[in-house]
Amino acid sequence: MIASMMIVGTIVLFYIMSIVYKRFTYPLLLPILSTTVLIVLILIISKTPYDSYMSGGKWINELLGPAVVSMAYPLYIHKEKIYKYKFPIILSVLSALFSGIISIMILSKLLSFEEHILLSLLPKSITSPVAIPISETIGGIPTLTAVFVILAGLVGAILGPSIFKVCRIDKAISRGISMGSASHGIGVSKLGEYGEETLTMGSVSMTLSAIFGSFIFPLIALLI
Amino acid sequence: MVKVIRIVFQVIILYLFSFIGSWIVQSLSLQFPGSIVGLLLLFVCLYFRIIPVELIKDGAGFLLAFLALFFIPATVGIMDYPELLSWAGLGMVLAIVLSTVITIIFTGRFCQYLERKLLEKELIE
Repeated sequence: MIASMMIVGTIVLFYIMSIVYKRFTYPLLLPILSTTVLIVLILIISKTPYDSYMSGGKWINELLGPAVVSMAYPLYIHKEKIYKYKFPIILSVLSALFSGIISIMILSKLLSFEEHILLSLLPKSITSPVAIPISETIGGIPTLTAVFVILAGLVGAILGPSIFKVCRIDKAISRGISMGSASHGIGVSKLGEYGEETLTMGSVSMTLSAIFGSFIFPLIALLI
Repeated sequence: MVKVIRIVFQVIILYLFSFIGSWIVQSLSLQFPGSIVGLLLLFVCLYFRIIPVELIKDGAGFLLAFLALFFIPATVGIMDYPELLSWAGLGMVLAIVLSTVITIIFTGRFCQYLERKLLEKELIE
């Protein structure tokens, strides 16, 4: 009973917050952020532990797997365009992976993080259904990684548009590729506002980033 | 109503791909995300027309349209980590903000440069 209440509650809140966001499009009203904050507040106030929320939440979570599989669809539809731009796309996604890894390593050193924190931070730019198993594989803490992934996504979705303006990143491909490979699904969901091509490039790069990352992160972890 | 049934049916097909992907990964005891194997499998099936794109089109469109919703239960897990609001936690948040901003700027500029090179090369040819 509680489980279905949690499912319906999450969906209804998300639906309402999506309408609110469409009306005001203020970055901090991003549905994933506002819905999460509201649910956390409701759970804390009603003294409901996360585990009882997840008795329903896990059914929504379960759809992440097929959602990742679904990304084969935009990949298939735009295969000609991807093929044409294969070198810029692949090189950019790889450079995003490495600039993320190198900057996190330097920052971890500067801020003297422990190794398990560093390992949990590494896959932050990868979509969570893939980042969580990567974190497990390389010796990070999966739940922490889940949180870090969300934060990286929110940073892209909230700051991305201003970065594009200031740094004159104005092509559909570069906007899509940079957002998708730095801020995965959450960043990509923001790209719809720039049109279908940008959105597609975003899902292409988040997909490629997840595929490449699945190979690269275990190798990097061996070097640490 | 027909559309709803079609979407549910197609989501089940996509779920099967995800399931088969996880099963392959587990039975080969690989350390690899099963959903990515499912994605590659589906792409291969679409590419070689083993399954027609109409069979998954609406289901995939539906799942991708509500992508943000599926992340929420995992995100709510943040409530079990109140230490993220401590100084150490703020350091981690700072690292994520800086690293993500650096990645977007660097990748965006680099991609734009590569794209321009490609178009110039095309014009010469």
